[in-house]
Amino acid sequence: AASVSSKFDLKTYWTTLIREIDQKLDEAITVQYPQQIYEAMRYSVLAKGAKRAPPVMCVAACELFGGHRLAAYPTACALEMVHAASLIHDDLPCMDDDPSRRGQPSNHTKFGVDMAILAGDALFPLGFRHIVSHTPTNLVPETQLLRVVAEIARAVGSTGMAAGQFLDLEGGPNGVDFVQEKKFGEMGQCSAVCGALLAGASDDEIERLRKYGRAVGILYQVVDDILEAKLETEEKEGENKKGKKSYVSIYGVEKAMEVAEELRAEAKKELDCLEKYGEKVLPLYSFVDYAADRGFSFK
Amino acid sequence: EVQDHLVFPKFNFEEYMAAKANKVNVALDDAVPLQNPIKIHEAMRYSLLAGGKRVRPILCLASCELVGGDDSMAVPMACAVEMIHTMSLIHDDLPCMDNDDFRRGKPTNHKAFGEDTAVLAGDALLSLAFEHAAANTRSANQHGVLQAIVELASAVGSEGLVAGQIVDLCSEGKELSLDELEYIHVHKTSKLLEAAVVCGAIVGGGDGVAVERLRKYARCIGLLFQVVDDILDVTKSSEELGKTAGKDLVAGKATYPRLMGLERAEEFARELVSKAVGELSYFDPLRVAPLYHLAGYIASRQN
Repeated sequence: AASVSSKFDLKTYWTTLIREIDQKLDEAITVQYPQQIYEAMRYSVLAKGAKRAPPVMCVAACELFGGHRLAAYPTACALEMVHAASLIHDDLPCMDDDPSRRGQPSNHTKFGVDMAILAGDALFPLGFRHIVSHTPTNLVPETQLLRVVAEIARAVGSTGMAAGQFLDLEGGPNGVDFVQEKKFGEMGQCSAVCGALLAGASDDEIERLRKYGRAVGILYQVVDDILEAKLETEEKEGENKKGKKSYVSIYGVEKAMEVAEELRAEAKKELDCLEKYGEKVLPLYSFVDYAADRGFSFK
Repeated sequence: EVQDHLVFPKFNFEEYMAAKANKVNVALDDAVPLQNPIKIHEAMRYSLLAGGKRVRPILCLASCELVGGDDSMAVPMACAVEMIHTMSLIHDDLPCMDNDDFRRGKPTNHKAFGEDTAVLAGDALLSLAFEHAAANTRSANQHGVLQAIVELASAVGSEGLVAGQIVDLCSEGKELSLDELEYIHVHKTSKLLEAAVVCGAIVGGGDGVAVERLRKYARCIGLLFQVVDDILDVTKSSEELGKTAGKDLVAGKATYPRLMGLERAEEFARELVSKAVGELSYFDPLRVAPLYHLAGYIASRQN
């Protein structure tokens, strides 16, 4: 399947979507009274250099099943909003205590802890509201919108990403598999499933996309950790941070690379069953390879 | 005077409140099962099931009933409102916010479970509210369920609760005008009460006129809630309140009695009640008793 993705120009597809999503997000959060909160929300959601992987996966999944891109944009934006909310709260001093994210001061470093908590609290509901009030009703039936809202809410909730963050903080005997699956698999899973839901995919197809998205989400993170570990060994500063349980830190780079290959195969296996959609499945294939190989860079 | 137009059948308000609160408590208990990871669900349940009068969810059920809906249509929405209310209290109590150690006589969530868990438990309740409302509302009208979700989201987000918190935080130590005080209260308290009532009416199948009447009713009682709170703070002892009396006064916080005088504040409360009740005159008098009594209950509560 590796040859399949060479037929598709993911970089152009992706960078085009980033521009679109960035613009939609910019329009979705306009500054009004009280200004401070909107500035804090915009600071994290519109952070420069964001790859918008969840929105891109959502759009690609929607297009795979013949859905219109316009049907997916509001949900794609919502995914970024709730994701940003989770990250803002994860960075807080009482959580991972990260003073910076992506080379920029964290939200609480810039705006204060109280503001960061409230910015997160505001972004979760804004995401749900944005889906309902911006999805073109002629493109998506209301039943599907309700399912999308429930899906995203579940993914960020106490059995999803919040569970992953909680167990990661708690440390203890909880398996790295579970933590990685919850912290990173949920977002990928939810993004792919939402795209499929918006396009009216069948339940069987939705389940395939669920497994696909989960595998890609974890794969992406495992490869990030591997790359970071390699960099750190070179620089000899592999310090153990609080709340960072990864395959690499538990099993080492080599085993993590095996896990990555398994995840790549797992994701592609699901797509192999969707071959009736022909070329439309190519973006999702190339997404897997990008997650594993990082075949190009943005800018 | 307004009351004279309405002829009520016998209505046992206390019984009504107890029955509805019980229904809400059972539904909330079911909505947050103790599952893995146990501790985060314990933390969610600790605050969500800590008692409380369940005024918001009961308003939601009563409003649904008033427009001819069935309780079963509004129970998930009622639970969602209470989850959001609870979440706001958990985050509000955090050290970086109001830094409260006790709530309703129990240690606050972060005191019992730690700050990290309290932040996550709040976040989880917030998302669960939307999941629960979206997935479990059995209303004939899906369009209405989506509308109700928008109401709920607006009530809690940067145009609702969060906006109120921000303005409150930013005005600490400043002299507030009456308009600013009202902004804070409308956003911190009224919006969610309004959403409770409006969501109930929407999922219950109320038409546009009914929903707007109920929205106005809810705005009045939302503000009333806070005015009464402010009045109680200066007129009651700590013992009667079950919390520290005169706290606002000592903290130099802007309150209605402080800005307009006690007498005028009491008058304002009476005006709000009669305005709220006035909105109800649009509805079938035989169905209006619960919301009528709820307005009275909020006006005359002693703690």
